[in-house]
Amino acid sequence: MTSLPFAHALVARQDLPLPVWLFAWGASLVLIASFFALSIGWRSPRFEEEHWRALGEGLSRASASLFTQFVCGALGVFLLGVAVYAGLRGTEAPDRNFALTFLYVTAWLGFPLVSVFLGDVFRPFNPWRAVGRAVGAGFTALAGQRPAHARYPAWLGRWPAALGLIAVVWLEIVYGTSGGVAVGLSPHAAAVASLVYSGYTLAMMALFGVEQWCRTGEVFSVYFGMFGRLGCFGAKDGRLGVRRPLSAATTWATVPGSAAVVIASIATTSFDGAQEGAFKRALESTFNHLVDAGMGLTMALRLTDTIFILLTFAGVALVYLVGVRGMAGVSGAPSFEKLRSGFAHSLIPIAFAYLVAHYFSLFVFQEQAQFTYLLSDPLGTGTTDLFGTASSGIDFRALSANAIWYVQVGALVIGHVIGLTLAHDRATAYWGDYRQAARSQYWMLAVMVAFTCFGLYLLSVANA
Amino acid sequence: MRSNTGRTLIGVALVIAALVLLVVLKDNGQSGTTGTSVPQGGGSEPAGSAGSTKSRKAEVPTIVIRDGKPVGGIAELSYSEGDRIRFKVASDVSDEVHVHGYDLMKDVEAGGSVSFDFPATIEGVFEAELENRGEQILELRVNP
Repeated sequence: MTSLPFAHALVARQDLPLPVWLFAWGASLVLIASFFALSIGWRSPRFEEEHWRALGEGLSRASASLFTQFVCGALGVFLLGVAVYAGLRGTEAPDRNFALTFLYVTAWLGFPLVSVFLGDVFRPFNPWRAVGRAVGAGFTALAGQRPAHARYPAWLGRWPAALGLIAVVWLEIVYGTSGGVAVGLSPHAAAVASLVYSGYTLAMMALFGVEQWCRTGEVFSVYFGMFGRLGCFGAKDGRLGVRRPLSAATTWATVPGSAAVVIASIATTSFDGAQEGAFKRALESTFNHLVDAGMGLTMALRLTDTIFILLTFAGVALVYLVGVRGMAGVSGAPSFEKLRSGFAHSLIPIAFAYLVAHYFSLFVFQEQAQFTYLLSDPLGTGTTDLFGTASSGIDFRALSANAIWYVQVGALVIGHVIGLTLAHDRATAYWGDYRQAARSQYWMLAVMVAFTCFGLYLLSVANA
Repeated sequence: MRSNTGRTLIGVALVIAALVLLVVLKDNGQSGTTGTSVPQGGGSEPAGSAGSTKSRKAEVPTIVIRDGKPVGGIAELSYSEGDRIRFKVASDVSDEVHVHGYDLMKDVEAGGSVSFDFPATIEGVFEAELENRGEQILELRVNP
């Protein structure tokens, strides 16, 4: 029996499994909070309106100015360039190379974290949007007319982003294997993937238009923007303003495929957590079957992981759809399709809670590297010391096991409560009758309890 | 509207109460675990005070490397925070043993062995590997 040492390229300290007593407390808290939420249920929607109001004129003008947009865009392009260059020319040791930590920790985990509180902060820094707009402006200046674009098919919606999201995670945790051992993604592969993605994104922007592609197809815009809908700052008609927190999320899922994006987020995080515990046996036995059937080790491992990522996606989607199906049976319910997209946004807080639960410690540790030695010596070759911090290391004592556990459980419980809040609010908007709205929410309650307790369970068996 | 605010406040209060309970219970739980870890501490204490005792040395776990792989699969060692971590790697290949997280590296010759002895100061799960081969040989667990 081959044992599979699954490894991220960057994880030097893995989390201890959640102790049983904390698991029990977390699960009880979830149940108490859920029933309490049902009992206090308000009767008219509170988050359907954004209550947006503009911030000071000066601030809006500064943020919308061409200068600010240029500086932010240029910074995005520059940092992506540094990451790609470091990946191509730097060390192959993943933890010493700027590329992996910057792309997969600082940006991939950092933007959701900041966006949840502030809003869509990725947009001004989006390197592809910046390049796309610059090219568009150049074209307009030379040709004397704005570039013409193909019409984006409405049915495609956010599906390209949902698939792209799975691909980004797949690249990090599945592709980086060699000889049947998960070694994590190499910096070189990450750089090549970034270049390929850049080419694809710019081509799509040329085809459908920069803003259209950012709204529906560009993985990072859609994914970070989704979390940004929870935050309290948002722009309207080029003006910066404050809105009621969570309120912008209620209009997020109106585009087809949005539910798939948030489900993909929950599923990929779940798979990453589960491969260290809950799925370990199943993965090993599938892997061994494939190897016995004559498949090469690397191929067998990649195929096994790919199958399980897709199964997890199907499983998460199934739980959600069963909940939606249940709601559709409550009298006075809108159509199944409307419910399916109408409640998708209530999963965003849960997706964020999963991210925090699984990557919080990695983020804290790896950001220490990002702002010390990776900044001073981005290539990891020991040839530069730009800020005099090249010899610093990560202090793994920065977090005790208890601190990590509390953050994990706290994130899941809070994400659960916010998810329930959004779902209940939407129900009061869809059902005129308050009692039917409350009845429909037993279904969403079941869905959310399932996700949250599954999250707790994954933590309790990871590395056990 | 007003009564809803009141009920929300009660809700928040309830959650806080539950959290306080959780912390209180956790403290009890922890004193419970310290109770159980006393014998462990007692076990490692003589090792510290009488490091020269030969019988104690024999208890140091040894990870045997054959053909660049750990015999019997990846070894697992578990400690509590504050313990002394001691183990030996006997290898038939020359490589460098790297304990992640603690970031300790020691070279080992083909046919030779190398000993590790360091305090368990960082909680978590760590791997030790033969650095050049990229082969994991040990899963080190330090509980709080």
